[in-house]
Amino acid sequence: MSKLMVFSALALFLMVADLRFRVTQPIRAAVATVLYPVQWLAMQPVRAVQHGGGYFTALSQARASEDAARGQLALQSLRASQVEQLAMENTRLRKLLDLRERLDITGMAAQVLYDAPDPYTRKIIIDKGLTQGVDLGSPVLDESGVLGQVTRVHPFVSEVTLVIDRELAIPVLNTRTGARSVAYGEPSASGGGLELRFMGSNSDVQQGDLLTTSGVDGVYPPGLPVAKIDKIERRAESAFSRISCIPQAQVLGAFHVMVVKPLGGQIPARPADAPSPVPSRKGGAK
Amino acid sequence: MIMPSGQQLLLPANPVFIWTSLIAALLLDMLPLGRVPWMPDFLALVLVFWNVHQPQRVGIGLAFMFGLGLDVHQSALLGQHALSYTALSFFAAMIHRRLLWFTVPSQALQIMPLFALAHGVEIVIRLISGGNFPGWTLLLAPVAESLLWPVVSVLLLAPQRRAPNPDQNRPL
Repeated sequence: MSKLMVFSALALFLMVADLRFRVTQPIRAAVATVLYPVQWLAMQPVRAVQHGGGYFTALSQARASEDAARGQLALQSLRASQVEQLAMENTRLRKLLDLRERLDITGMAAQVLYDAPDPYTRKIIIDKGLTQGVDLGSPVLDESGVLGQVTRVHPFVSEVTLVIDRELAIPVLNTRTGARSVAYGEPSASGGGLELRFMGSNSDVQQGDLLTTSGVDGVYPPGLPVAKIDKIERRAESAFSRISCIPQAQVLGAFHVMVVKPLGGQIPARPADAPSPVPSRKGGAK
Repeated sequence: MIMPSGQQLLLPANPVFIWTSLIAALLLDMLPLGRVPWMPDFLALVLVFWNVHQPQRVGIGLAFMFGLGLDVHQSALLGQHALSYTALSFFAAMIHRRLLWFTVPSQALQIMPLFALAHGVEIVIRLISGGNFPGWTLLLAPVAESLLWPVVSVLLLAPQRRAPNPDQNRPL
């Protein structure tokens, strides 16, 4: 009985420490390091099945996919050369206008190890960690859009919270109208989506609008596709409409992802208090 | 020890085998099979089994440590599985004298409320701390676990059911 009390109290303490004070990271890192060999072992049979399946796919299928890839490559190389020229033009024009250079994106490829089996959140585990230089808070992308954000970094693996998790919000820009807003995760039993909250019922949104990152948060690089608007429900009883979106990234079956350094480190510090005639408000608009 | 009549006397349990079975259950729980809410928790099952059969060797402390490991693996709230395994192990130790007098199917029936309690503890904790509801199929998990009880009973008691004096005709 006393043992039950002691261990229950310890577990409760850990939960509170984990939720409120965020001081349990060293414990997690230690346990994760001890568990890593066991996890690796558990991964092997599933890996073997995947590889075996890939080995036996027909040659013709591989040929077809190669042809498709080559076609796409040709298209993209044409576009890439155009982009090169446009980028040069852009830097020249920016210099002319004396605007700041756009921040460059540095990324690192990673593989998804497994979906976190915890049914109450939407997270995945990737195979790069502290030793490979993953930063806490890094945005994670796949080939078609923003997938999520690194929320915990262990020595060898890290944990990515997906955009459809309830606790993740991402500032977005409607590419058609240029309106900024924030998309919140909205998980459901079958997949999940995002919700655009606090958009007035008379706001200009249409089905099929593409939402990209707006870059005002200092975390996500601007211009990455996040979601497409799927359904707009205008409600009489509320001043806001209910807008649900479909994520562009493959939140259910991502395998190769890219971890991008958060922009926070690259943004220059705010200038020291310049003598300004207008008294600046604390925590003003960013 | 007083035993129900007609039962075979068992060999002493091998600690190495106990540990191996616990690690194997942990491995089964760690298999990346995707997100299935009704997936039975093999580690809880094996922990309860040894709590009932070998309460001297496998106690609350061990259950707590394994729970902590599973929390980190699932990236769940730290302490969630630890708490539910602690409760599970306590109640298993409480009923272990009574439970072994029943046949294996009725043992499975009696152990089901324990598993339901363990899952209930986890649901309550996570819903309080702001998780999303995973769906009603979660209710099938304790049923699946107690359906596996007879299987586990056969598998894990097999080494103790070997003959005490193996010879040419009975190598095992």
